[in-house]
Amino acid sequence: MDIEQNQAELIDNFVKQASVQKGTALGSVILEATSHPSLFAFSEILAVPTVAELEGTENSVYLKVLQLFAHGTWSDYRSNCSSLPQLVPDQVLKLKQLTVLTLAETNKVLPYDELMMELDVMNVRELEDFLINECMYAGIVRGKLDQLRRCFEIQFAAGRDLRPGQLGSMIQTLSNWLGSSDNLLVSIQEKIKWADTMSELDKKHRKEVEARVEEVKKSVSVKKLQTVSRPKLSSEGSRISTLNLVE
Amino acid sequence: MASSSSSGLTFKLHPLVIVNISDHYTRVKSQLNPPPLTSTSATVNGVENQQQAPRVYGCVIGVQRGRTVEIFNSFELLYDPSTHSLDRPFLKKKQELYKKVFPHFYILGWYSTGSDAQESDMHIHRALMDINESPLYVLLNPAINPAQKDLPVTIYESELHVIDGIPQLIFVRSSYTIETVEAERISVDHVAHLKPSDGGSAATQLAAHLTGIHSAIKMLNSRIRVLHHYLVGMQKGDIPCENSLLRQVSSLLRRLPAIESEKFQDDFLMEYNDTLLITYLAMFTNCSSTMNELVDKFNTAYDRHSRRGGRTAFI
Repeated sequence: MDIEQNQAELIDNFVKQASVQKGTALGSVILEATSHPSLFAFSEILAVPTVAELEGTENSVYLKVLQLFAHGTWSDYRSNCSSLPQLVPDQVLKLKQLTVLTLAETNKVLPYDELMMELDVMNVRELEDFLINECMYAGIVRGKLDQLRRCFEIQFAAGRDLRPGQLGSMIQTLSNWLGSSDNLLVSIQEKIKWADTMSELDKKHRKEVEARVEEVKKSVSVKKLQTVSRPKLSSEGSRISTLNLVE
Repeated sequence: MASSSSSGLTFKLHPLVIVNISDHYTRVKSQLNPPPLTSTSATVNGVENQQQAPRVYGCVIGVQRGRTVEIFNSFELLYDPSTHSLDRPFLKKKQELYKKVFPHFYILGWYSTGSDAQESDMHIHRALMDINESPLYVLLNPAINPAQKDLPVTIYESELHVIDGIPQLIFVRSSYTIETVEAERISVDHVAHLKPSDGGSAATQLAAHLTGIHSAIKMLNSRIRVLHHYLVGMQKGDIPCENSLLRQVSSLLRRLPAIESEKFQDDFLMEYNDTLLITYLAMFTNCSSTMNELVDKFNTAYDRHSRRGGRTAFI
């Protein structure tokens, strides 16, 4: 959202620069792009034709660096250290930030141990400082640090550049989401209908009961007219006994 | 007659004004069409009055700070169809009253109902120009259009345009945003969700609540559908890939499932069980009290002849 807006200008800038230059000069553009503190999206630069031309030439390392920043993590860099040029500290920082974003793709709750391993950080204090200063204040991640359970609960993480296969899985997730919300809508409607039918039944039942009570009342009053001549003593006795009960 | 405003003013409208105008209109309309006493009079009245929806008029007041105009409140005015003007003495009186309570509020303009701004409205507009040199005209369209997604409220300003060599005042539409404070939001929400007056029945309350949730989820559903359609189009190649949007969608999808930790399941199930338990207990209490009453009635009704000497019932 805001990150994308912040980046839009920068991306345009770098794309213009990259399309103008060629070869080794591109290397410096890429270096600048990857160390810029607010730029996290590299797929537009990757799409520029002059950058794609770097493939296979002696400057292909720059292309590899750009690809690493677009899709890779810190551990990728460490394992391919030999084939990639040395990264300046700004780039190292950015790569670590991007690593956090990648980790956030799979889990919403990241344990400190995993983070420390991925980011090459030795103690918790450093890790928390990194997360707070570099990730949360930069606005790319939002979440809660749970120190007691040593994990980082992520509520929001900015998107990284998409690998080609990811579009399919995103569409899958969206269709699942659509499906479950459709089901929910249907079940809510059923519940509403059920509530209405239940209240209808209840009203009908109540009416029936009242009708029967009326009937019985009428028949009792008819009977009473016939029995009015019975001795009054029994009704007295019953009245006194009801008083006892009430007390 | 509207193009788009060029005065550069930003308008902020409070929902209270919208509720006021709609309430005014509804009251006047229902007073003109009283509920039918006999079926014959109803048909005559209904046919007549359906043709002219009554127009209501009133004033809007608020604050203007620099280039931002904020409309806070409104009150009603009487319209005199013979002179085509609003009731000025009443307006003055109301203005003084409101000034005492809200010293910062000025009369910003006037409102009316209808589907479009008309020529005769310019007359009233001009009349108000002596109070405020550039008044606003807030128009509410009371026709209910289920396909329409926005609020049927438009704000018009007046601008001096040269048409055919003659400078004329015409209405131009301006855009506005809705602005609200928390207290106002709560009260407007409350008014909007008025339950029926015999809302004691649990079923109707449940149905109303569920209907609210249903419409909210339906809106979410339609938006997800749009995203889905867009992504499918992008995959097929109909739409050029826009990376920044894809990144935003991926970050959004990463937030699903929204709540799925073990702790949530525990808490949720615990609360669910508690609710079920309480309902069960309430049912139990109900049953036992009904049973008690039944036994009392039984005793009263059938022990009539065996009750001598004050023996109490065995329950």
